[in-house]
Amino acid sequence: MAEKGKMSNEHLGGVARFREEQEKVVKDCESRIQHWKNLSGDYEALNDRLKTLPDQLSYDITVPFGPLAFMPGKLVHTNEVTALLGDNWFAKCSTKQAQKIVDHRMKYVKSEMDDLSKTMKNFEARVGLTKDLENISSGKGDYIDIREDSRIIEAAVTKGRKRIAHKPNSKPKLDAILDLKEEEEEEEEIKVEGGDTERRISTITEEELWARLDELEKLEQQQDDQDRLSDNGDMNGEESSSSEEEKEADAAPPVNGQSVKPSWTPAPHSKKPPCKDSIAEEDDEEEEGHDLPTILFSHTMEPKKVRINTGKNTMLKFSERKEQHSKKKKKNGLNNGHHELHKITTPVDIYRLFVDVKNGEPIPRKSILKSRSRENSVCSDTSESSAADFDERRMIGRSFSHEDTTHSDTSDGLTEEDSPTAVPLHPASRFEAFSGTVVEKDPMPTAVPHLTLAPPALPTIMERKQEEVASEVAPPQEAPKRVSKFKAARLQQK
Amino acid sequence: MAEAIQKKLKLEVEKYTQMQKDVSKSVSARQKLETQLAENNIVKEELDLLDAKNTVYKLIGPVLVKQDLDEAKATVTKRLEYINGEIQRYETLLKDLEKKSDQHRELLSGLQQEFQKAQGMAVGKV
Repeated sequence: MAEKGKMSNEHLGGVARFREEQEKVVKDCESRIQHWKNLSGDYEALNDRLKTLPDQLSYDITVPFGPLAFMPGKLVHTNEVTALLGDNWFAKCSTKQAQKIVDHRMKYVKSEMDDLSKTMKNFEARVGLTKDLENISSGKGDYIDIREDSRIIEAAVTKGRKRIAHKPNSKPKLDAILDLKEEEEEEEEIKVEGGDTERRISTITEEELWARLDELEKLEQQQDDQDRLSDNGDMNGEESSSSEEEKEADAAPPVNGQSVKPSWTPAPHSKKPPCKDSIAEEDDEEEEGHDLPTILFSHTMEPKKVRINTGKNTMLKFSERKEQHSKKKKKNGLNNGHHELHKITTPVDIYRLFVDVKNGEPIPRKSILKSRSRENSVCSDTSESSAADFDERRMIGRSFSHEDTTHSDTSDGLTEEDSPTAVPLHPASRFEAFSGTVVEKDPMPTAVPHLTLAPPALPTIMERKQEEVASEVAPPQEAPKRVSKFKAARLQQK
Repeated sequence: MAEAIQKKLKLEVEKYTQMQKDVSKSVSARQKLETQLAENNIVKEELDLLDAKNTVYKLIGPVLVKQDLDEAKATVTKRLEYINGEIQRYETLLKDLEKKSDQHRELLSGLQQEFQKAQGMAVGKV
């Protein structure tokens, strides 16, 4: 709005000046017309004089002698008139001929006057328009200038690189994913060389990601089948955690697993987690997947430290913390068995579920999106160009996470932390993806400040939220049973 | 360095203003010619309307000199042609002047940029 205000101010100034100039022209036209009117008046008088002049042979007149004296005299040869033809040319002619000349001149004057009046009218109309324009730009008047920031729309639609995360959990993820995908190829080489050792998710090329996505899809389906038979909530944690990582890696592809279109839309968003989780899961995740097939998405306002793929360490920290939490949770969760797994109502639960049992200990499955040691993981948007985005997202995520904590339904404090990992992947989608319900994100308003989004962005975010919600609905469709269970869990939770 | 550029800039600005003056001069001259053209057209028409009987006078200074109608007509026609020619000349002149002024303007802007850069650098250095 500030920008708009600025623009309008400048615009106002320009428009005002424009209007002034136009008014000047109008005034000029008026003066000229007045001049011509005077001329025509004079000619009228002259005409009359010429008419009456030959009435008499001579007239007694008082002749002016110089500037101060007058002399009585006579006006003779009343019919003879020396008329100025123009350009210092004179012609002696009778009054009638003179009258003709006068008529000609009158015609000329009239034409000039007509032209001027036309111009004046035009400019008057223009002045009116500029006045209206002025009103519009200034905001007063009855006119309202409806402007839509196309940039934001583009962002909403394309979820382009720019992370305009209105919602804590919506766009950032998408952007991250998208950016990830976009920059994957670009940065793959760079990243690969840079952070191979650190990254768990090595530079995953797009094709690899796609392949993994497919794999995970299958796995997920298998897991789903198993889960449906066994646990409902197991998968959720896994998938969410893995999905986060995967999401980062498989920006666009992830959705493929689901019927959701792979294009970057909010809908796939929610679906992404499931498919990503299943597909993009890393080895651990894949292993885990078998154990915890079901993915129950509980859409809770958890502290979404939506910063999944930030090549920054901060995200890693988050994720690590989450992982630790998830580890703890998993321990607890495993102890509880499937019961808790079933009860996936929050993303945290997902983390709980997705634990890689290694060495007899449940290690929280690290989502590919969250790379512990990932400085410049390919999976994540670690491109330098996206660094800023990541920071943004991180901030957003954090802010959201803070927000989410307030809203999160999770009973576990850990879940809150865990959820961020899940959330970062698809901040917006997570929230919505994990729950079949549309969770109003208060974080969004808070997130907005972080995001340099214009207010119009908000509506878009809301739309996206809803989209994501809808998309969430889609994933549930993939696993109807899961959905039902999830819903049941949610209902239970409620 | 900045000062040298500044001096250059001043020179160029002066040249440019001079050019602009020329342009405006030629523009006003052309306008005069145009009015004369219109007037002479009227005169021609009037002369055509006149009969041979009417004496035509030409005002030369304070004197009204008699002229033949035909002579007057011819004179006026010639004057018209002359005026047209003048207008053409002035038009071409005006175009050239405008082109030159545009070039000069660009030069000026470039110099200004340099000057600002130099100033910025100087400020930075200082």
